[in-house]
Amino acid sequence: MASNNETIGKTLGVVVGLCLVCAVVVSMAAVQLRPLQQANKTQDVQRNILASAGFADVENVTETFNANIEARVVDLKTGEFVDTDPNSFDFEMTKFDAKRSIKLEKSDDLAGVQRMTTESPVYFAKNANGKVETIILPVQGYGLWGIMYGFLALDTDTKTVKAINFYKHNETPGLGGEIQNPRWVASWQEKQLPVDIVKGTAGNDVHKVDGLSGATLTSVGVDNTFKFWTSDKAFGPFLAKVREGALN
Amino acid sequence: MANAKEMKEVLFAPVFANNPIALQVLGICSALAVTSSLKNALIMSIALTLVTAFSSLFISMIRNHIPSSVRIIVQMTIIASLVIVVDQTLQAFVYATAKELSVFVGLIITNCIVMGRAEAYAMKTPPLMSFIDGIGNGLGYSVVLLTVAFIRELFGKGTLFDVEILPLVSEGGFYQPMGLLILPPSSFFIIGLFIWVLRTYKKDQVEKA
Repeated sequence: MASNNETIGKTLGVVVGLCLVCAVVVSMAAVQLRPLQQANKTQDVQRNILASAGFADVENVTETFNANIEARVVDLKTGEFVDTDPNSFDFEMTKFDAKRSIKLEKSDDLAGVQRMTTESPVYFAKNANGKVETIILPVQGYGLWGIMYGFLALDTDTKTVKAINFYKHNETPGLGGEIQNPRWVASWQEKQLPVDIVKGTAGNDVHKVDGLSGATLTSVGVDNTFKFWTSDKAFGPFLAKVREGALN
Repeated sequence: MANAKEMKEVLFAPVFANNPIALQVLGICSALAVTSSLKNALIMSIALTLVTAFSSLFISMIRNHIPSSVRIIVQMTIIASLVIVVDQTLQAFVYATAKELSVFVGLIITNCIVMGRAEAYAMKTPPLMSFIDGIGNGLGYSVVLLTVAFIRELFGKGTLFDVEILPLVSEGGFYQPMGLLILPPSSFFIIGLFIWVLRTYKKDQVEKA
């Protein structure tokens, strides 16, 4: 029985047949599960934005998001709102889309991101009366091992930090990974931009935050990330417009 | 036809007597990478057990028709397809964990345990026994993974399945976590100790010097 397995015809037959069966199985799994995966991805982003706005551990992520958060897109150069769909942004991939992004000069690239999109989504958390209370900016910057992705939540005065939330990073667990530690995150509350990350005790100084011990380079990365994204190269023009009253 | 006793032997022998990680030292890569928390280790174990069992089953079903010149490629195709299905399923149903496991699910394809069982056992054995052999080897892998993850999570983070067991000093408790245990190299030591304990207990596993 085994002997006639070795002919060219049988070999090709088995290989082609197997490939067809496997291709059908794999495609079916991919197509059938695509909507669920897409929903998971969107929910994941929404959950992180909600967490930055102070809604921790919500049950119905999408409902809470739609009820409390408004997503808009701003042109980073002018600081004006534009009509681009906020859901068309992927915080990791869109900056590699040549039509929608620019390459940063080394001297401008404080956060080490190399490329950035020309437009960016911003999120507004509203209170019960529909008044904007928190502005949530997507930020990213190079830590020690790779790009850290997060959100910076600011008060409408554009200076007071309400929350920071790094949801994806490759920093060392237990050292740089502590950027997700709730106590360190809490130490950012009520700080006034620009904030410097310092060694030792920052005390009650609103412009200083304690660095993470054992994670100097990660701390510097976080420092640079916030400084870059609030500068004129990034959200600076938009934040200036907000101070002039663009939200009301 | 295989009787119940033989099945039991095939199912449980790989757990301690012929453990794929401890005795055959296969599949170490993922054992180092995904064992920093019990939850990840558990999902990885289930994924690997399913892939090993079903790839053995399918390969065994067509074993008499596989030309020996392309048999490795045929095995790889079946294994790779199963891994993609598992990966897609994880992304659809347990997204957060799938994100943490990331590439390691994909790397099940290159896990020597799966290939090893396909080539060494499923190619010569009827489907039912191959399926049971796959589950058995998956269990052997799982035992090591869960043991390592238990030690690493408990002493590295003071938690088990993310539930606090030992309150950390930094959170006002008494336990100073061992930083090394959160990092992958610590699994080397733990697996080493595991092998040592196992071979002290089962002397026949000791290799001749």
